[in-house]
Amino acid sequence: MHKYFTVFIVSLQNEFIYRFNFILWRVRNILRFLMTYFLWSGIFIANTSVFGYSQNQMLTYVFMVLIVQTMVLSAPSSDNIGGEIGNGDLSNYLVKPVSYLKYWFTRDVASKTLNFIFAVFEIILLWFLFRPVIIFPTNFAVILGFLVSLLLATVIYYLLSACARFVSFWAPENTWGLAFLVLVMIEILAGGIFPLNILPASIYQLLQLTPFPYLVFFPISIFSGKIIGLEIIKVLLQSAVYVAIMVWFTKFLWKKGMMVYQSSGK
Amino acid sequence: MKEIKVWLRYTNNSFQQVLASRTSMIFLMTGKIIRVLLFLGFLFFLFKGAGGLGGYTKNQIIFFYLSFNLIDTLAQLFFREVYRFRPLIVSGNFDFVLLKPVNPLIRVLLGGADVMDLMMLFLLTIAVLFFTLGNFSITPLNLLIFILLLFNGFLVAAAFHIFVLGIGIITTSVDHLIIIYRDMTSMLRIPVDLYVEPIRFILTFLLPLGIMITFPSKALLGILSANLIIVSLVFGITSLFLSLKFWSFALKKYSSASS
Repeated sequence: MHKYFTVFIVSLQNEFIYRFNFILWRVRNILRFLMTYFLWSGIFIANTSVFGYSQNQMLTYVFMVLIVQTMVLSAPSSDNIGGEIGNGDLSNYLVKPVSYLKYWFTRDVASKTLNFIFAVFEIILLWFLFRPVIIFPTNFAVILGFLVSLLLATVIYYLLSACARFVSFWAPENTWGLAFLVLVMIEILAGGIFPLNILPASIYQLLQLTPFPYLVFFPISIFSGKIIGLEIIKVLLQSAVYVAIMVWFTKFLWKKGMMVYQSSGK
Repeated sequence: MKEIKVWLRYTNNSFQQVLASRTSMIFLMTGKIIRVLLFLGFLFFLFKGAGGLGGYTKNQIIFFYLSFNLIDTLAQLFFREVYRFRPLIVSGNFDFVLLKPVNPLIRVLLGGADVMDLMMLFLLTIAVLFFTLGNFSITPLNLLIFILLLFNGFLVAAAFHIFVLGIGIITTSVDHLIIIYRDMTSMLRIPVDLYVEPIRFILTFLLPLGIMITFPSKALLGILSANLIIVSLVFGITSLFLSLKFWSFALKKYSSASS
């Protein structure tokens, strides 16, 4: 455990090496919120209601997206796994007494922790600027459900991006391709731009069979009370099933990958 | 002439490099196509749900979105190398670029054209052509102004990328800045007029993404005033001039870190 704590601390320190880059990362975080906010503001100029959402409700949704994305989708989720497999740097880890996947997960958590700490100030600032109506759940079970859904979403996201980068075992030059495809799907289908329940019912139900809505949309739905009672348990169970599937699939790919890994370039 | 030859050689090498990794290419191309289609689908639903967007018709909104992709991809095709600039600066390997008897800007700005962007550009050009000819009546004059403003938008994009390179030399930070540019351009997936003031003004004239992306499309549809056409041309040339000045200034600050 101690060694992963060291990785955690070193990862935090790494983020501050290039300070201007760090500041720009924070600027980006705020800009992303502003972009989606102004996109919807523009749409609401000529409409008082879109898909049953008022402008205030949509603003609240966009604000919640910022909070959830900060905790779930922040980089560098397994950023260089593909590169390290492709150029043989993975061998450096294999000879060390660390689990490669745990190592990258620790780095992921470090990045998210840092992101969260700074995002708190940004969120407070944006809240004062835009004053979205956010009703905090008072029911302990709902708060717990929200936190569990965030934790499950974080794990799903990490495993999803790690699996996408494992393609490099079979195609060492492919360090980014599948990960890009997954990110494109997440960008739209996770609910970061619009609430997924505005989609036609058939597409919405179909999406629930994919891991994407569990990353952003469902945690927000639990927090904002759009999902209540047994529905929360159902969603959490579905998320947990996805985590189980992803854990199994990641291990399976890792095992298969290890059989073909040739440490090329070393 | 020498510069064109060098650029062609860089482009040839870069294309071959991408074509060598076919699995990656298939995934990336699929991702690029899916991204265009998914947002197009979102626009359809949005239009249906909102019952109209800022007075624009559905066809106009789709046309603006396709044009955005066309212009964005054109900039990506030529300026892809900017995304790989930071490692050169951080490692000090930019020294090797400076030592060569070629303008270093050609290498770091234009040296990494991506064949996938060329393929996307081909697909998007066909899509824009079919969609435009099938839904709008275009006059030859509007077409001419469209091409002129497209080129002008290209100059604005070049200026922005040169600024990013200059900042990269001074601060060793490029990655987030270029992604901010990508994020900001993505706001222009819908016409700039749909944004509230002062965002509309900032996007149009301060950044100036509206000039780069929305203006050519509006000109083709014949809904851009003559004044704005002149303003955008002046803006394009001035921004390129200023960016080149900034590049020269930044080069003098290069410290050859790590080398």
